[in-house]
Amino acid sequence: MELVYPAGALVILLLVSAAFFALVRERDDLHRLLLTELVAIMTLGLIALVATDLAEALILPGLVVAISELVALSQVYIAKEGLAARPAKVRRIEVMDTAPAIVAAILVAYGIVLSGFSGGAIAAAGLVFYFMGHGHAERFALLEAASGYAWAIWIGAFFIFMILPAYWFFAVLIAGGAILLKVMVKLSLIGTMRGDPDV
Amino acid sequence: MNAEFLLGLAILAIGTAATAFPGEKTYLARLINLEIPSFGLFLIMLAFDEMLALLTFVGVTAISTFIFVRIMERRDDR
Repeated sequence: MELVYPAGALVILLLVSAAFFALVRERDDLHRLLLTELVAIMTLGLIALVATDLAEALILPGLVVAISELVALSQVYIAKEGLAARPAKVRRIEVMDTAPAIVAAILVAYGIVLSGFSGGAIAAAGLVFYFMGHGHAERFALLEAASGYAWAIWIGAFFIFMILPAYWFFAVLIAGGAILLKVMVKLSLIGTMRGDPDV
Repeated sequence: MNAEFLLGLAILAIGTAATAFPGEKTYLARLINLEIPSFGLFLIMLAFDEMLALLTFVGVTAISTFIFVRIMERRDDR
């Protein structure tokens, strides 16, 4: 078992150098963005080799940073290539009219069972597909308000941890529910980016 | 070293080669090949019982695929 970490780390480092080699030789920006995603996957693999709870604790923020970096870089790319001015031609895919409601219901229900950050990400994936398929007429102010209340409740749960430690289980449940709501609301905004020229 | 770990490492290596040096160099081919190394990472996480990280990675991978598809929709050539 003690051979796993050095052997795996050596293999993954070789793979990372291959990916960086391809990244250096690439001239096209969108191809570079795709290769950046590849490097991100392998970095997460390197962290996963630690194989303890520490690895999970490090992978979750790594995923958040990777997705936010990807959103930011994609916006920079769209602005740089002048693609924002062009009206996006949204492809009509027939399965996108019927499937998203069922997929979203399953993913949101499973996300609520998981709770916490992972539950938020799973439920948000469901909402992203729903918004993608059905279009959206959401009120951004309402979503922001829900996100703000969720954050306040999350902080309140931490006060319970510090002031009334005997009720830690109650605080865990509150924090898990609040972070679920917050992550779900924030990530589901991504689903509204399709076909909207100014978002 | 158990079977899942070795299989995951092998799939990660194959997927890296397929994504870094694809046969047909189009955006769509690269995006589809990108699913192979992430499947290898699923197996590595499975081998070490990292359930939370695995589930979150599945959710985030779906969202990042959506972001790439959004860019490719705006560019008409693929």
